[in-house]
Amino acid sequence: MPEGWDVIYYRASDGRCPTDDFLDGCPTKVAAQLLAVLDDVADAPPPRYAGGGRWEAMHGGMGGYYEVRAQGPGREQFRLFCILENGTVHELAGRGLARPAIAVITGLRKPWMTAFSERDYALVRRLGEDHREQFPRRIRE
Amino acid sequence: MLDTTYHRRRTAQRLETPEFEAEYARMRRELAQVNAVMQRLDDLRIGAGLSKAELAREIGRNDAVVRRLFTAQVNPELRTIAALATALNAEIQIVPRSGSARSRRRRSEPVGA
Repeated sequence: MPEGWDVIYYRASDGRCPTDDFLDGCPTKVAAQLLAVLDDVADAPPPRYAGGGRWEAMHGGMGGYYEVRAQGPGREQFRLFCILENGTVHELAGRGLARPAIAVITGLRKPWMTAFSERDYALVRRLGEDHREQFPRRIRE
Repeated sequence: MLDTTYHRRRTAQRLETPEFEAEYARMRRELAQVNAVMQRLDDLRIGAGLSKAELAREIGRNDAVVRRLFTAQVNPELRTIAALATALNAEIQIVPRSGSARSRRRRSEPVGA
């Protein structure tokens, strides 16, 4: 089995894929940076990754999530919110996964030197919880 | 099992855009260098038989700072990297990539230009 991890995108019950919608709305260079980091982390794979501050474990109410970080024009901040799908072969199979994966839940953007609101984070957590409740996972295919 | 190839297929489509492809390649190179430096330092630390806490003491830094450098995803300061390299009897080098457009341009510039 290859050492790298898969990258999967959460899909909502209405069929929308928040990650795709977000990436499609990002400036091209920002989308390129975000996806380059994701691929770099997936190849590392995540537990061994030290990518220079562009992939960060989140804390507090967002514990268990990881964010991919990029900066766009005017120092606008872009983030992808991810969950690591790891476990035994049996556990992964129950989620429909043949190997560990980075599940990208959604993305958000904010002006420089501002913070996301608790409402923003609550939205991410709601989508993340929906993702975790699905066996197998509901992803963009 | 689910088909988990969507990300690879969609990224391959995006890579057909020259602006995306150039930025993606630039970022992958940058990240690879950060990873290579941190992994090389960690290999040297293990080779020297030093724990992360011992290495932290060698450079006069807090244990947690050094532990995070190797196990978390932080952007290390160059001074810290230099201190770690020195403590491990190594040094940092910047090596021009051979055949890069910039180095080729430099070589072809006339003397005194």
